[in-house]
Amino acid sequence: MKITDRHLDLTPWILATVLVAAIVHLVSVLLMPHLAPKDALARLSQAAADSNAGLLLLSSAQPNAQVLPFQDPTLVEGVCFFDLSKGLLHLRGNVEPGEFLGVSFHGSAGRVFHAMTDRSAIKGKIDVVLGDASQISELESEDSDDAPPPEIRVTAPSAVGFVLIRSFIKRPSDRDRAEQQVRAIQCESFEPPAE
Amino acid sequence: MMIGIALGLLTTAVSLGSGHGVVAVHAGPWTAWPKNGGLNIDPYARAILARSGEAPLGREEGVAFLAETDSDGAALDGRCEYRIVDPVPASRYWTIGLADRNGYVLENPTGRYAFASSDILRHDAGAFEILVSREARPGNWLSPGDAKKFIVVMRLYDTPFDLESRLDAAAFPKITKTRCA
Repeated sequence: MKITDRHLDLTPWILATVLVAAIVHLVSVLLMPHLAPKDALARLSQAAADSNAGLLLLSSAQPNAQVLPFQDPTLVEGVCFFDLSKGLLHLRGNVEPGEFLGVSFHGSAGRVFHAMTDRSAIKGKIDVVLGDASQISELESEDSDDAPPPEIRVTAPSAVGFVLIRSFIKRPSDRDRAEQQVRAIQCESFEPPAE
Repeated sequence: MMIGIALGLLTTAVSLGSGHGVVAVHAGPWTAWPKNGGLNIDPYARAILARSGEAPLGREEGVAFLAETDSDGAALDGRCEYRIVDPVPASRYWTIGLADRNGYVLENPTGRYAFASSDILRHDAGAFEILVSREARPGNWLSPGDAKKFIVVMRLYDTPFDLESRLDAAAFPKITKTRCA
């Protein structure tokens, strides 16, 4: 009987401990994207001397010289950083017909919020404007009713992040072409047109 | 209270330290996390990405499959030799390469880290095989270098197939151990 009593005394403590553990677990998992010190944006910024300089070509994945984990060594990758508090991001460029080009839009912790390939190019061009919800709705309010907007508009869920541009190296001699394709994409920050 | 906090942090560390997310698809030795390429990523995968620093492929671009074992389920061992033979699921391009468990390419004497569908040597009928070995091999040779453990990473770019449905292992490459040193 004594043992049962002691067990009963301990039960609330055990329950409280488990509850605290569960709360700490959930909170720490949910906070991790905001707190992790070495997330993708931090690693890419470290690799970039000047993150405002438009598109930056990443070095191909090699031992001891790989910016991000799980980079494909057969891709040429370029990165553009964005900070929507300083204006919208305009990403555009010509796409070589028939060649793979991947464009993915990431929040600072790496999450993909939009992605496209060369198949989404219109008349051989990729033309995307990235903004937060209010910037995009401001752009939309200025659209005329007759003509569709010339660009694809993407709403970003966070103010800062980055865009990865990927081109495929079909064989070792193809690297220059793939680099030129990535460099053909321009990134510019611009202010919304004044009212 | 302190015990609760410690337990909570411990379970976080354990759950984020292994794997890539909760919602995975499997085919033979291959595993992918297709939801990691979009907005409906699960909270664990999101936290794991933040910690690892990975920037996954967008789902529209393609999907990456990882194999940590051979087709018999035995962990891949750098001292052994393996054959990776087709088929590969339908895609515009694919690449198959080696990496360590954290996704970094392996230092090795060949200077090659992956083969692509566009530069792999094929038999007359279009079939291929990749030989994984520390020793030089003719044909499509990948070396794990001095690594004791490694994983195989297969990326399918612009792939039409439906990752929500059940995958057929027969449509994926087989990884067969041929010998061990």
